[in-house]
Amino acid sequence: MVGALPSTTLPPRPKGARARLKQARTGFVGFWKVLRANPLTLAGFIVVVMIGVVAAIVLVAPHLITPYSPDQLSLDYNQPPSLQHPFGTDGVGIDILSETLYALPLDLALAFAIAGAAMLAGGGLGLVAGYWDKPGTISGAVSVVVMRITDIFLAFPSLILALAIAVSLGRGVWQLIVAILLTWWPYYVRLVRGETLAVKHLPYVMAAKAAGVTEGRIVLRHILRNVLEPVVVYFTLDVGTVLVTLSTIGFVGLGLAYPTQAEWGSMMSYYQNAGLITALPWTVLGPGLAIFVTVLAFSLLGDGLRDVLDPRSRRVLAGTGADSVSPANPPESASAPPEAEEEEESEESDLPPAPQLPGPTGG
Amino acid sequence: MGRSPSDLAIFIGKRLLQLIPVLLGIIVLTFVFTHISVANCAVWYPHASATTLANCQAKFNKPIADQFWIYFVNLLHGNWGASQQGIPVFPQIAAGLPATLELVFTALFFMIVVGIPLGVIAAQFAGRWGDHLVRIFYLTGWATPTYLGAVIAAIFLAPYFGLPSHGEYTSTPPPFPQVTHMSVVDALIAGNIPWTIDALRHLLLPAAVLAFIEMGTATRMTRSSMLEVLPLDYVKSARMKGLSEFWVMYKHALRNSLITTTTVLGIAAGGLLSGTVVIEEVFGWQGIGAYAYTSIGGGGASPNFDGAVAVVAIFAIGVVIANLIADVLYGILDPRVDWR
Amino acid sequence: MSDAVVSIEHLNVDYLVAAGRFRAVSDVTLEVQRGHVVGIVGETGCGKSTLGQAIPRLLPEPPAIIGGGKILFQGIDLVKVPLWKMPAIRGTGINMIFQEPLNSLNPSFRVFDQVAEAVHIRHVRDAGRRAGRAESGPFDYSNRPNPTASDAWSGKIVPGGAAATLAHRKEVERRSGETAEELRKEVLDYLRLVRINDPETILNLYPHELSGGMRQRIMIAMALSEKPSLLIADEPTSALDVTIQAQVLTLMKELIEEVNTSIMFISHDLGVIAETADELGVMYAGRIVEFGPIAEVFESPRHPYTKFLLRAAPTRYKVDGPLLSIPGNVPNLSRPPPGCRFHPRCPIARPKCQVEPPPSLMPIAGVGKEHTSACYYAEEVPNIS
Repeated sequence: MVGALPSTTLPPRPKGARARLKQARTGFVGFWKVLRANPLTLAGFIVVVMIGVVAAIVLVAPHLITPYSPDQLSLDYNQPPSLQHPFGTDGVGIDILSETLYALPLDLALAFAIAGAAMLAGGGLGLVAGYWDKPGTISGAVSVVVMRITDIFLAFPSLILALAIAVSLGRGVWQLIVAILLTWWPYYVRLVRGETLAVKHLPYVMAAKAAGVTEGRIVLRHILRNVLEPVVVYFTLDVGTVLVTLSTIGFVGLGLAYPTQAEWGSMMSYYQNAGLITALPWTVLGPGLAIFVTVLAFSLLGDGLRDVLDPRSRRVLAGTGADSVSPANPPESASAPPEAEEEEESEESDLPPAPQLPGPTGG
Repeated sequence: MGRSPSDLAIFIGKRLLQLIPVLLGIIVLTFVFTHISVANCAVWYPHASATTLANCQAKFNKPIADQFWIYFVNLLHGNWGASQQGIPVFPQIAAGLPATLELVFTALFFMIVVGIPLGVIAAQFAGRWGDHLVRIFYLTGWATPTYLGAVIAAIFLAPYFGLPSHGEYTSTPPPFPQVTHMSVVDALIAGNIPWTIDALRHLLLPAAVLAFIEMGTATRMTRSSMLEVLPLDYVKSARMKGLSEFWVMYKHALRNSLITTTTVLGIAAGGLLSGTVVIEEVFGWQGIGAYAYTSIGGGGASPNFDGAVAVVAIFAIGVVIANLIADVLYGILDPRVDWR
Repeated sequence: MSDAVVSIEHLNVDYLVAAGRFRAVSDVTLEVQRGHVVGIVGETGCGKSTLGQAIPRLLPEPPAIIGGGKILFQGIDLVKVPLWKMPAIRGTGINMIFQEPLNSLNPSFRVFDQVAEAVHIRHVRDAGRRAGRAESGPFDYSNRPNPTASDAWSGKIVPGGAAATLAHRKEVERRSGETAEELRKEVLDYLRLVRINDPETILNLYPHELSGGMRQRIMIAMALSEKPSLLIADEPTSALDVTIQAQVLTLMKELIEEVNTSIMFISHDLGVIAETADELGVMYAGRIVEFGPIAEVFESPRHPYTKFLLRAAPTRYKVDGPLLSIPGNVPNLSRPPPGCRFHPRCPIARPKCQVEPPPSLMPIAGVGKEHTSACYYAEEVPNIS
């Protein structure tokens, strides 16, 4: 087969920085509309941005925000919350608020890194397993094997598995990351594979194939683009879930060790082991509140995003068994069963075409 | 249509058969996990004596197939190993599992009774303040780290509501035999009403906290499946028959949206089981969650490798069974599913 | 006035949308006489479904709002009735059948349960009336402090007899004077009414096991079994195959004579309306532009839009020439044209039409008073070529 389609049959693609800027702006406007749809989503977004800003400040110029420098011992130990020490102090007089703020960039970075790595690794596997899964071929067999392994991993509740792996690996940052990563990748495999399977059979993908577009290009441009949206939504929610998991691991006594590295979970573990909780209950408020606010912000944002993209994530179940996806994000509306094809092709009723109802499900 | 009672047996039977490979997979995976890493011994028993370490290492020197066979046979005989102090794992788990199940089922009950109506309300008021309030409620539960929630409940809520915050009974051991190891059930069987009430009061707070944290799964799913169902014509037909809005929602709409909601039973089970680890520890509940906590070395306890592995496997099996039940429920609720 | 089942006066229905408030139905006035079939015809988007669903207050009240006007149903203004009291009026007062047979029956319940539920509601309400609590008409909510629907006790239905406990059945009989056998017999009767032979065979089936035509009949049976004074049919045949459509239409025509309920038949299909309706109302861009006895409107339309509509419908199989279409486009209702909404496409538009919107429906000189039109120059319409 010779050559590509004659260029005269297609409208010329806008080139140049200006056109790209325009495209970016419409994308941005779309995102802004999504945020505005639900006040909670907007609130989540704002808090997420604020947290990011605070983390950046703490990394670069901590004295701007934290009243005390890290590990600054003082003589007021075991103080309840006061104006000087909004979260009180611990047994050696360290200001809990400052410690909490110092732990912020680490926790945030860990959550993003782990969720991101799981997304890339699991997502990549899912894409491959979903796209090249023709039964009877080698890639098909590989796909089946991958999915079986994924299914078995998915049978374990994530927290427990992560805890168990963390124990056998010992304490430390990398051990923590690996433990959670090993638990987390299967969820992305399932998500992305489901989406890929659904998108694979869309008419325009088949048209692209028929037009002779190479497989790699199809995967990258068409499939990935469709898969990206639900994955990004899931990722947003997942950052929160990973954060909760890693701080629970820290709390149980694994992961990082507090006095050397500040991390919210290990802080709480330290306070508990030091017997401070019963005597001085406010000590957990600092890290606990920090976790709560951070996860809540990401969850509000992700939950709101998911509302708008709802119809997409419905397809997640289409390719897999009846088992659902993950602790962070139950798939929206399972359309696994037969009635999926009974979409009504009715006449439009003459109710106004899709008024912009504030809030949930589009379409 | 293949939906007679005998067909149901076939349906459930098929699902049970599909369960077997997954169970085997879990056993193999736990085996791999425990026996492959040779460094296990040093990590798990860091302060053990040389002989203990040597004994531990000896197990790993046999060929893999032998190791697996020994492992498998032991598993079936209930010989699940022992902790560092020599306390066997199996009896501990047998005693603790029912207590955890009691906690989990109560939490599940709360999730259904509170979470699902909240999801219906959120769908009814979609986009308005009712929806926002429900969302804040379940996301708050979701975002609360289990430990924080448990501690706040135990330290602040318990005295406020006059509820106990520790243990399964006010004083242990109870004066009647613990037949099932489920506190409320045992008290009921013994016919001891004051103790039954006492057991219920002890059960209330931990189950409520567990339910609060995990409620988002059920509420979120109910909300979105109701949102799918509500615009459909049969809801309008039901309204036009003259049914009040309550019946339209809870009889006609919910019945159909429950079909998809049951699919989250598996995840909910996973979340609930995971949550018990911390909840039981904080509330002093004698279940396998607390056992897991100490096995993993939480709170400075010496790690119990065999115990941890056993608990992980049990939780996984629990999730698999929950998924099975969800699958069967789905088949029952959706009239379009052919059981053959 | 004459014997009107429902009388709509100057009804406005608005939608609250992100961009503001837009009026889907403007100033609609029409009446349905007892025992008559009023057809409402119009293109997609003209507001006829909104009108149909607004009458029993079926539209979700945010975002929809009734922006003014009255809907008089047996002496009661439905616009003023609080939404929670509407269930008492629906069912036995006003009922409705919908377009999509796929979705109109609850997929999780069997045929018997669904029809029996409707019959049961009617029995309970009749029983309440027999007990002397209400006066005339299918309802009288002024007498009851609580919504009557709670009396309907609709949550507990007696399926074929198997699952009911004895106590439950006694309660049902006590409340409605209805036994399980009577209920079943009546369900079968109504199924036979809609020309389903051997209805016993379908009682235990689920909707997805039945064909579209069958489902539509069951929906009709369900609606009629409550003996409503007014039945609103919202495009009941539009989603059916042509052959099934013919069957269902025949059925409906016969039912209209047998059951003598009043019907508001909404459709975009002129042929369907022509077969069933006594009066015809034509809607355009949210307004009624013409209303009258159907023969008169067909023979001598008095609004340019109606004339074009009739001309555009292919009526013969022979090729008479190119299909005629109406020039221009349906206006965007969020920014309707000033004055008469049809004027941009109208061949006889005058300056007045661009400025002053015609009041809804004016009498036409030289024509009987039942035939009204919303065109200032209705007399000239017959001259349009």
